[in-house]
Amino acid sequence: MSAAEQRLEDILNNDIWDVDPNPHITVDSEKCKNCNTKPCIRLCPAGCYTMSEKTLVFSYEGCVECGTCRVVCPLEAIHWEFPKSGRGIYFRFS
Amino acid sequence: MGLNIILLFKYVPNTNTVNVDPNTGTLVREGVPSVVNPHDLDAAELALELREKYGGKITAMIMAPPNAMKGIEFLMGMGVDEGVLITDRAYGGADTLATSYVLAAGIRTIEHYDLIITGQETLDSSTAHIGAQLASWLKLPYVYYVTEASLNDGTLIVKRQLESYTEKYRVKLPALITVLMHSHQPRPVTLENKLRAVIKKPIKMLTNNDLKLNIMCTGLRGSPTVVAKTEFIAKIPRKKEILKDKSPQETAAWLLSKLKEEGFLN
Amino acid sequence: MAEIPNKFDVIVIGAGPAGSASAYYLATKGFKVLMLERGRSPGSKNVFGGRVYVAPLREIFSDFEKTAPIHRWVTRERMSFMYGNELVSLDYEGNDHKSFTTYLSQLVAWMALKAETAGVSIVNDITVTGLLKEGNKVIGIKSGNESVKADVVIDAEGVNRLVLESAGTVPPLKPSNVALGVKEVVKVNPEVLANEFGLGDGEGMAWSLMGDVTSGLPGGGFIYTNKDSVSIGLVMLLDNAISGANDEVYRYVERLKAHPKLNKYFKDSRIMEYSAHLIPEDVWSLRPPKLAYDGLLIAGDAAGFLLNLGYTYRGVDFAAYSGYLAGKAIEQAHELGGMSAINLAAYPKLLDQSFIMKNLKRFNGTNKLMHNRRLFTAYPAMMVSLMKRIYSLDYESQKIFNTVLASAKENGVGPFTLISDGIEVIRYL
Repeated sequence: MSAAEQRLEDILNNDIWDVDPNPHITVDSEKCKNCNTKPCIRLCPAGCYTMSEKTLVFSYEGCVECGTCRVVCPLEAIHWEFPKSGRGIYFRFS
Repeated sequence: MGLNIILLFKYVPNTNTVNVDPNTGTLVREGVPSVVNPHDLDAAELALELREKYGGKITAMIMAPPNAMKGIEFLMGMGVDEGVLITDRAYGGADTLATSYVLAAGIRTIEHYDLIITGQETLDSSTAHIGAQLASWLKLPYVYYVTEASLNDGTLIVKRQLESYTEKYRVKLPALITVLMHSHQPRPVTLENKLRAVIKKPIKMLTNNDLKLNIMCTGLRGSPTVVAKTEFIAKIPRKKEILKDKSPQETAAWLLSKLKEEGFLN
Repeated sequence: MAEIPNKFDVIVIGAGPAGSASAYYLATKGFKVLMLERGRSPGSKNVFGGRVYVAPLREIFSDFEKTAPIHRWVTRERMSFMYGNELVSLDYEGNDHKSFTTYLSQLVAWMALKAETAGVSIVNDITVTGLLKEGNKVIGIKSGNESVKADVVIDAEGVNRLVLESAGTVPPLKPSNVALGVKEVVKVNPEVLANEFGLGDGEGMAWSLMGDVTSGLPGGGFIYTNKDSVSIGLVMLLDNAISGANDEVYRYVERLKAHPKLNKYFKDSRIMEYSAHLIPEDVWSLRPPKLAYDGLLIAGDAAGFLLNLGYTYRGVDFAAYSGYLAGKAIEQAHELGGMSAINLAAYPKLLDQSFIMKNLKRFNGTNKLMHNRRLFTAYPAMMVSLMKRIYSLDYESQKIFNTVLASAKENGVGPFTLISDGIEVIRYL
């Protein structure tokens, strides 16, 4: 494969998760509505936050558990904790 | 009193992602960790619910290399009482027949059991053979795709889900059931249970010294299954188009025309 | 279930480098240690850049070099300044075995196994959610509505200090406290390591990149060669990234790999893993009010122990060594008769005498330096244009000093700024 840029979902496909059936991330959509900058979208390395029409949608399954979203959210709308029961990302080569 | 339950499980590579080396076309297995077969977690949850209702004991059993000990620890973390790890070089490379043969022998070492529970199938091979084969070896009544189970007058009442209808059976104990995938939400592990697993380690090891099976019937030698050929199916590139801000009628018309274009509709 | 012990001498939160080192040391001294790990196995949640300095680890684990998963000894150091499609590099080729490359996941698994073999009870799959307190004294840990007691707790939970935050010991993380590291580990052909990187058997390279890597945001890129793979990634200060990153962060890594001067290193490569992690950046504001409380010590990233010099990071050895010192402090407190804050005060003292605090104090101010944007924009550009003026000639050669001033001017840096930034660099690095 050449060194051409890959899509995030193809990059993430190389990682391994045991996904927790209970989300470890929740977003307070009321607070989120009032945020103009939404830095989570650009700064979440796993692309967990995206815009759909005019609202933020998030998925927790592909989270790499860095905690960036929790820190950058200006309105503290993101509640982020660690997945339970050893679930979530499983790093082998990092 | 209470139910003595044997929970059978498999410790499988976590294949939520199956990666293929684009240069060699082979599966990338390097460093892939093993997990308790997720479909066996449905079985574990049902077993735990039954024990909560009727009392008794759950023994997790597996035939696998020694690293499967971690799988038993995980199940004990959920609340399973004890484990049996059947491990022997002579059992390696087994297909489902050779596996069920050894498991049957392992189960016979347990003096009293009422119910054998396992998942519908495994994540890594999906044959769904083990339940039926074991029931044959042990001459037990067998129900598959079970979603619910309860006791009534010393017999087991089970519901099984088929494609468009539900069946209800009354089964004599001891019996063997396999649990429908995704029918249960496995509970998280608890600190107390994990501590007990790690510190007390109530896990018994069985080798062929204990089971004394004819090794011509175990492992690779006892496995009639032959993988004739595996084919690498190339990834199909996804065609994505997004239609935005149109009325439902326009959207429907657009979707229909697209589906026709692709030959899915005439 | 009365037969399960519900009281330990020591509970360690997190089986990372700090936790495993402390647990290992204490177990070898006869303490009954419980180490709780939220991952499925130790190492499965750990991420680092790619290189570890060996001396502190050798002190903790006497047989370190014989059995630890060392991929390559770093014998080549390279620093590159990037601007556009050009780069200027500084290359150092040494022979010493001072630092090595590895996968942290493997190294931590090794450290935890050492601890387990020494008698530590390791419980995976358990997320500690709080501290169990009696008045001001920490008497154990909580996980959901369960708890376990211990004479003393070592908090080595890592940079996301959810436990310490919930206990009110530290304030929530602010963007200015941390940097974001994003990384890919890619499988490369052995020929690439031998021919393009020029590495012999067991030889490794640590390569830091500044300038266009992060589109001028304070931060930088890194490349480390592992046994048969390469770790490549970048680090950006989070407060600057919030205002300055105009693209999704993963793109920066992909772009770095595709850079015209770097892509030959990644020919026919395959991504093995993608990861990201927060990195303690402003260590002084991250530092908890105290490092030793009644029944509690704080070690590793949770205490902010990491040194970022721009051209190299030291996190793993700092973490492991702080855990080791926490172990020593507990040993001393035990001899003094208990785990009170006063008896545990040996911990901050040991840290002060160690290379950890000496380094952090010596380089106090690098964080300020890192926020000087010119270091990541104008200067790399200047280096490139300087080299171009010197080397890329048709007929006439240039005088170097004039060339420096000219390329500085070209990049909007006047002589005064040039000299004052120079002084700042010399002072802080």
